[in-house]
Amino acid sequence: MLKPAVIARTMHKWLALVIGIQVLIWLASGLYMVVVDIDFIHGDPLVKNMQEPVVVPDTPALGMAGLTARFPDATRIDLRPVMGKTFYAVTTAEKRYLVDPESGVIKSPLGEKTASEIARYHFAGEAPVINASLITSDPPMEIQTRRLPLWRVDFDDRFATSFYIDPYNGSLATRRHQYWRIFDFMWMLHIMDYEERSDAHNPLLITAQFAGLTFATSGLWLLFYSFSGRRKKRRRRVK
Amino acid sequence: MTQFLKKLHKWVGLLIGVQMLLWLLSGLIISLLDPVRVSGKQWASTITPEARFIDSTSLLELNELPAELFDDAVGVELTIQHDKPVYLVRRAGSETLIDASDGSIVKTTQAGAERLARQDFTGEGEIISSKPGMAPDIETRDSSGAYWRVNFSDQANTAIYISTATGRILERRNSYWRVRDFFWMLHIMDYSGRENFNNSLLISIALIAIWLGISGFWLLFSSFNRFDFFFLNIFGKSDTATITLINSGDGKPRQVNLRKGSNLFLSLATHDVNIASICGGGGECGKCRVKLMTTGLPEANDIETGLIPRHLREQGYRLACQQKVKNDMALRIPGDMLAHGQ
Repeated sequence: MLKPAVIARTMHKWLALVIGIQVLIWLASGLYMVVVDIDFIHGDPLVKNMQEPVVVPDTPALGMAGLTARFPDATRIDLRPVMGKTFYAVTTAEKRYLVDPESGVIKSPLGEKTASEIARYHFAGEAPVINASLITSDPPMEIQTRRLPLWRVDFDDRFATSFYIDPYNGSLATRRHQYWRIFDFMWMLHIMDYEERSDAHNPLLITAQFAGLTFATSGLWLLFYSFSGRRKKRRRRVK
Repeated sequence: MTQFLKKLHKWVGLLIGVQMLLWLLSGLIISLLDPVRVSGKQWASTITPEARFIDSTSLLELNELPAELFDDAVGVELTIQHDKPVYLVRRAGSETLIDASDGSIVKTTQAGAERLARQDFTGEGEIISSKPGMAPDIETRDSSGAYWRVNFSDQANTAIYISTATGRILERRNSYWRVRDFFWMLHIMDYSGRENFNNSLLISIALIAIWLGISGFWLLFSSFNRFDFFFLNIFGKSDTATITLINSGDGKPRQVNLRKGSNLFLSLATHDVNIASICGGGGECGKCRVKLMTTGLPEANDIETGLIPRHLREQGYRLACQQKVKNDMALRIPGDMLAHGQ
């Protein structure tokens, strides 16, 4: 029969071989996520003009009654500032529209030029726009859960910032940059969901965690033997 | 280097070992919980009420309402709430609901909140109580303003939070969420707010913990040798050496055949010869001292030099956990070890 200390040491060694690399990945990815400020990751320092006042139109060409008559299946009508000017954003069961209150003209979907201007309007940096493209299908990983289509507007800054502009309401739907992308990659490594990067309730992770937990337990158990040896040795010396 | 890393690993382990265990335990529990239950969506109604502005002629236009209603507004929305058209005015930190047909301010009453919660909740349980409160608190930390908390009698102790200002559902909380939140708190070490994972305690412990990982990873290379993988049978047939164990007491000598290259301490242990040890073969306690009776005595390594007095080393004493089986030899082991082993 092997002694408990031998069992603990052998367990710790072999479990380290099995799960050690993943534990190191957990530690390293976790360290990145806690050290880098989450507001920075969310891109808060990269944006401006995000909470602008809405102005109730004085003499609209189209009022609420007019809008609900024109869009009878509307479920929601918003007043929404776009580059400092207030527009109507109409939502129906299937579609969305951006309407100019003064003229009553439907402005959506917004074109490349307007999308770039909106991105520029919200970008707190100085760097120029280097690319704008309309994403209608197969979205990149970083906007997986967002409603399409979206304009992707890239800036030539050191964070490789991309702004995503909604062509149907003129909003800055989301912003991404290099450190966000690294964070997302670290999160993927942390939760071991290599496809969707969002599901922490996956069997691979759960299995690895069971192994990791056993590994950590064997380590703690081993500490007991490692340090009790030291104590007894000292006592013997004193004698 | 290895000795230093071993020490580092041990002491860092002592310092943060319990938190390592808590990280792994809390991580495991968080991922075991089904997120659909945690979020309460499992029991949330998926039916969205038909929201259309049928009688649009009765709508008050925005410019017919008092202008001060829209002071500091960052969003205004015409929508349906409480089965009637309303204007929802959003300001930084607060919201107001205005009846779109008469311009009066609408607040959600207790009965209204219970009705809305009842419409949303599809689980097995009835409303048992409801009470007012003010966000943010631990369960409504992503919201602000007054709410009604509506409690259900289901097994998961569901509580649905309805905003007093807008009548909207702020949160759906239940036991699954509460368990997850408790372990999330342990995971991110933010014991008050439970949401800030950039806190200095967590950063400090994580910076220490990474050394546990790095040193452990390094030690992985020194603690394995190819003889550990004999079970894979890729090195061909292995040689054995015959070790004759001589008791320093009265017991009879005994012979065991051990695989060449394997660790002497562990090999003996698998043959039920348990040399005294506290640390279990880690080269830390110095208890597994044995006398090698062979010509060509191997050099004592740093660990042995530190734990065995010089005159004993010269007599052939070594630590069994630091020795590899090489050739046939006799081994003097202390006391009544053999009797115990048999």
